[in-house]
Amino acid sequence: MNKKILSLLLFAFVLILSACSSDDSSNGEAGGSTTSTPENQSKDLTIAIGSDMLGFDIHDHSNTSTESIHQNMFDYLFKRDANDELQPMLADSYEIVNDTTLKVSLKQGVKFHNGDEFTAEDVKFSLERVAQTPTLKENPNYKQIKEVQVVDKYTVNIITFEPEPSIIHRLSRIGSGMLPKKYIEENGWDYFLEHPIGTGPYKFVEWVRDNKIVFEKFDDYYQGDISEWDTVTFRIIPENSTRVSELLTGGVDIATNIPPADWDRVNSNKGTSLKQEVSNRAIILKLRTTEGYPTSDVRVRQAIDYAINDGMLTEVALKGAGIPVLSIVGPGNFGHEPSLYNTFNYDLEKSKKLLAEAGYPDGFEMTLHSPKGRYLMDAEVSELIVGMLSQVGIKVKLEFMEWSNFVEMRNANKNKDAYMLGMGNSMYDAAYTADFYSAERNVGHTDYSNPKIEELLAQSKVNMDPTTREKQLQEIEKIAAEDTPYINLYIEEINVGVNDRIDFTPTSDEMLYAPYMKLK
Amino acid sequence: MLKFIVKKLLEIVPVLLIISFIVFTLVFVAGDPVALMLPDDATQEDINNLREAMGLNDPFIVQYGNYMLGVLQGDFGDSFRYNTAALPLVLERLPATLELAAASMVIAILIAIPFGIWSATKRNTILDLFVTGTSVVAKAMPNFWLGIMLILIFSVTLGMLPVSGHGTWQHLILPAITLGTGIGAEMTRLVRSSMVDILNQEYVRTAKSKGINRFFVVYKHAFRNSLIPVITITALQISTLVGGALITETVFSWPGLGQLLIQAVNTRDMAIVQASVFVIAILVIVMNLIADMLYRVLDPRIKY
Amino acid sequence: MSEQITTVEKEIPYTQVKKQSGAGKILKSLLRSKTGLVGFIIVFIVAFIAIFAPWLAPFDPGAMDVTKILKPPIWIDGSDPAHILGTDNLGRDILSRIIYGSRVSLLVGISAVALAGIIGLIVGLVAGFYGGIVDMILMRLVDSFLAIPNILFALVFLAVFGASVPTLIIVIGVTNWVAYARIVRSEALSIKEREFVKAARSIGVRNPLIIIRHILPNVISSFIVISTLSVASTIILEASLSFLGLGIQPPTISWGGILSDGRDYLATSWWLATLPGLAITITVLGIIFLGDWLRDILDPRSQGRG
Repeated sequence: MNKKILSLLLFAFVLILSACSSDDSSNGEAGGSTTSTPENQSKDLTIAIGSDMLGFDIHDHSNTSTESIHQNMFDYLFKRDANDELQPMLADSYEIVNDTTLKVSLKQGVKFHNGDEFTAEDVKFSLERVAQTPTLKENPNYKQIKEVQVVDKYTVNIITFEPEPSIIHRLSRIGSGMLPKKYIEENGWDYFLEHPIGTGPYKFVEWVRDNKIVFEKFDDYYQGDISEWDTVTFRIIPENSTRVSELLTGGVDIATNIPPADWDRVNSNKGTSLKQEVSNRAIILKLRTTEGYPTSDVRVRQAIDYAINDGMLTEVALKGAGIPVLSIVGPGNFGHEPSLYNTFNYDLEKSKKLLAEAGYPDGFEMTLHSPKGRYLMDAEVSELIVGMLSQVGIKVKLEFMEWSNFVEMRNANKNKDAYMLGMGNSMYDAAYTADFYSAERNVGHTDYSNPKIEELLAQSKVNMDPTTREKQLQEIEKIAAEDTPYINLYIEEINVGVNDRIDFTPTSDEMLYAPYMKLK
Repeated sequence: MLKFIVKKLLEIVPVLLIISFIVFTLVFVAGDPVALMLPDDATQEDINNLREAMGLNDPFIVQYGNYMLGVLQGDFGDSFRYNTAALPLVLERLPATLELAAASMVIAILIAIPFGIWSATKRNTILDLFVTGTSVVAKAMPNFWLGIMLILIFSVTLGMLPVSGHGTWQHLILPAITLGTGIGAEMTRLVRSSMVDILNQEYVRTAKSKGINRFFVVYKHAFRNSLIPVITITALQISTLVGGALITETVFSWPGLGQLLIQAVNTRDMAIVQASVFVIAILVIVMNLIADMLYRVLDPRIKY
Repeated sequence: MSEQITTVEKEIPYTQVKKQSGAGKILKSLLRSKTGLVGFIIVFIVAFIAIFAPWLAPFDPGAMDVTKILKPPIWIDGSDPAHILGTDNLGRDILSRIIYGSRVSLLVGISAVALAGIIGLIVGLVAGFYGGIVDMILMRLVDSFLAIPNILFALVFLAVFGASVPTLIIVIGVTNWVAYARIVRSEALSIKEREFVKAARSIGVRNPLIIIRHILPNVISSFIVISTLSVASTIILEASLSFLGLGIQPPTISWGGILSDGRDYLATSWWLATLPGLAITITVLGIIFLGDWLRDILDPRSQGRG
C-alpha cells in the first residue's frame, strides 16, 4: 500500500516539475518568437547576430559588435555621416581654441531616457571616467585627455596633455558615449549596468545573456521620431546555419555574418537579399621580427608577401568579398594611401630569389597561429596560405586557437613567427593603426622597430595641420608596406542578409543602427 | 525507505566536495583570467595589482578555502564577462533547460516503449532487425547534424515550425526531437532486451500456456516489470541528456544553461562554468535519487 | 559487507563467465548472429582502411585544388571523375579525408578507452580490496564523475589544456573509467571473501598475484563489452566536441572535424558534412553490433540484451 502511494507521489512530483517548466513557455517570454511570421506592417525589428555583446560598460570593451548594439541607446558628441565626414551629434558646434583645447557647445534640450537633461556635467563625467581609469579597456584611446572643464551648462573645454589632432575622431566612437552623471551617482555603477540609460533613440528593456537584447523606442528623443521601429530585438544565434535559416523563413529581419556558402540561397530566396559593404577591418599576418626568427630578415618577410596570392584568397575563400591591400588604412580613413589599396604583391620567382638571398634557398619552417571562426572564413584563408607558402619551400605549422586562448597567447607575447589578426579602426584615422608600428608597442611582442617610422610617428602625433599630418601618415604606410612588419592581406566585406521589407545597406563601421533600417 | 533517503542525501555532500575540488583545480590550472580582463597594453604592474586584488597570488589551498566559503553562501563569484554574480545567471537559465530535457524525455519514452515492446514480441524477425538497426543509427547520429537537418527540412523547406528560439510549444518540437532521438534509441534497445528477458520467464510462459490473452500478458505483466530497468537507465541517461542539451541548445539558440555555459567556456568565464557544473551535478544527482526511489518502489525484490 | 553491496546492486554483476572452447565455436556463433557478422565486417573494414590509409587514399588529404571547389560526388551532375566523393570548400578530396580521418577517430577511440580501462582497473581494485574509508572515498569519486556529463567535463578540460589528440585521449579516458571501476570493484569484493583467496593470502601470496590470477580473467569479458561501446561513444563525443570548437584541430583530420567544418554547407553542398557523418554512423553501428554480439557470447546471463 505504502509503496503505491509513494510511487504516486513521486510521479506527481515529476509531473509538477515538468508543469513548472512548461508554465515558463506559456507566458511567452521570448520576444523573438512572435516574429516567426512577420506581417509587413510589423513595427518590431529583429536582428540576428552571432555573438552576445559584452555588457553596458561602454568604456570597458573594445568590441565592435558590442558598439554596434550600443549605438542605438548611447549617442556620441560627433558622428560620421554617410560620406565619412564627422558631424556634430550631441555637440552643437566646436572650436579649436588652441593646440590642447577643444571647446564644444552642446545641443540643448537633449534628454536621457529617465527624463534628466543632458548637460556639460555629463560630458565631464563620461570622458574623465575613461580618461582617468587605467584599468578600463578604452583608456589607451582617451588617456590623452587631461581634463574636461565645464564652462557653462552647455559648454565644455576638452583639454589634452599634448596637441591631439585626432580628438574629434576619438569623440565619435566606442568609449565616448555620453553617460548620465546624476543617475549613476544616485544609483551606483552596478545599478547602471543592469538598468542602463543613455540619450539615444532607443531605450533598454531587457538583456537575456547569450540569448537576446531588447530595446524600445525613446519617445523624447531630441532628434524627434527618427526611427520607424517600436521595438528592436537583437537575437544572439551563434550557429551560422540557424541564423541563415531564421532569415530565410522570416524569423528575423536582418542577419549578420552570412557565410559565403549561403549567399546564393539568401539572394535566390523569395523575400531576402544579401547586402555587402567594404568594412574597415583588414586581415593581416603579424610577423615576429625578434632576432633569431627567420622573419627578422626583411627579405624573408617580403618573400612571404610575394608568395601569398591575396587575390586568390579573396576570390576562393571569400568569394570576392574582400579587397587585397598593402596597407591597413582603407578609404574613408584619414591618412588613406590610394596606391596601397586594391593591390597586392604576388611573384613566386621573386619570392624564391628573396629567400635565397636571405640564406634560405630551401625554405624554412615557421608557425602560424590562426583564430577560427572569428573573422570571415579565417580558417580557410589560413589553410590556403599554408598551401601557398609551401610552394616556395616554407613549411608552415598551422596552429588553430580558440579565441580566448588566442588572446592570451597574444597578451602573453607567446606569439611565434606569425599570427593572423583582423585590425579594425573605429577612429577612422590612420594615427590609430600607425601607432601599432611603434617600437614601444612591440617590445617583447614582435620587437618591430623602424627609426624612420618612429620619427614620422612622433611628428604626426602632435601635428595639428591636417595636410602635413596626412602626408606623414601616408609615408608611414608606404614604409610599412615595404618593410612588411605585417603581411597585409585584404580588407573584409561585411555580409548582411536583409528581409526585403526593409531597406538597409550596412555601413563600413559595422554598426547596426536601427534608424538607418527603413521600412519599404 | 527513509533511512535509505537520508543515507543517499548524506552521500551527496562528499560528492559535491569532490566535484568542487576537481572543477576548482581545473580552473586554477587554467590560469587566471587577468590577461583577458585588462586592456591589451596593460603593464606587468597592472596585472600584478589586479592579481593581488583578486586574491590570485594566494597559495592554492587558501584560494580553495576562500572559494568554498563563498560557495557555502551560494556565491560562486562574479562573471567577469558580465560583471554580475554567476549563480543567479545560471539559475535563471535552468527552467529552459529543464523544459527541453523534460520534453525530450517524453519523446524518448514515446519512441522507446512501443518500439521496444514491438520488436521484443517479434524477436528475430525483419521487423526486429529494422528497429534494432534504426535505433543504432539514431544513436550514432551526431546531435548537431540531426538538429541542422531538421531545421532545413521542417522549417526552411516545409515552413512548418519555427527555426529557433523559445516561447511557444512549436519552438520546443524540433529541439526536443533532436535531443530525444538519441536517448530514445538507447531506451528502445533497453526496453527490448528487458522485455525479451521477461517474456522468457516462467510465469509469462505459464500465463501464455494457460491461454490468457496475449495482449494482456504482454502489456500487463511483462510491461510493468520491464519498466524497472527502464527507470534505471533513464536515470543514467539524465547526465547524457543534460550533456546533449548543451549542443542542442547551441543549434536552436535555446535560452538554457547550455548556451550560457558554452559561451562561458569559450570566453573562460570560469565563475559561470563553476556554478553551472555545480548546478548540473546537483540536478543529475537529484534526478538519480528520484529514479532510485522509484526503482525501489516498483521492484518488490528489493528489501530495506 | 552488506553495507557495501547496497551501493552496487544496481548494476549487473558480470561475474559468471562461460568458458569458450576454441576459436571455432566463436566463429560459428559469429556466423549465426546476423548483426554480429555485419558488425565484425564493418569494424574489420574500418580498421583495414585506417591502417592502410596512405595506400588507399587517392589524394593527399591536405592537397588543395582551388580549381575544383565543392565538386559533388560522382553520381551527381557536375562532378569531377577523379573525386569519387567530391571535394570540399578548398578543393580537397573528401574520400581521402574520410580515409585519413578514420585513423584519428580510431586512435582516439581506442587509446582513450584503454586509458579508461587502466584507471578503472586500478581504482576498482583499490576500492574493492582495501574497502572501508578508501572504498568510500573512491566510490564518492565515482559518483562525482557520474554527476558531471562527459561532454561538460571534456569541454572544461579542453578549454583549459587546449584541444589536441593527446589531451582528447586523456580527457575521454578520465571521464570514462567509472564503468570499469564499478565492475572491478564488485568483482574484487566478491572474490576477496572466497575461500581460495583467503587461503592464498594466508599463505602469503601477495595481492597483485591474486589480482592477476583471479580477477582479471573474470572481468575481461565485461571489459571487452564496455570497451566496444565506449569506442563508439567516444567517436560521437569527438564529433560533438568539434562542433563546439574544442575537437581536434586541423591540419589533423578527424571525422568529427570534417563533419563540423562542413555544417555551414549542409544546405548547399550536403556531401561535405553528410559523408563523414555517414562514416561515423556506419562505424558506430558496426562497433555496437559487434559489442552486442560479444556481450551475448561472453555473458550468457545477458542473452538477447541490447
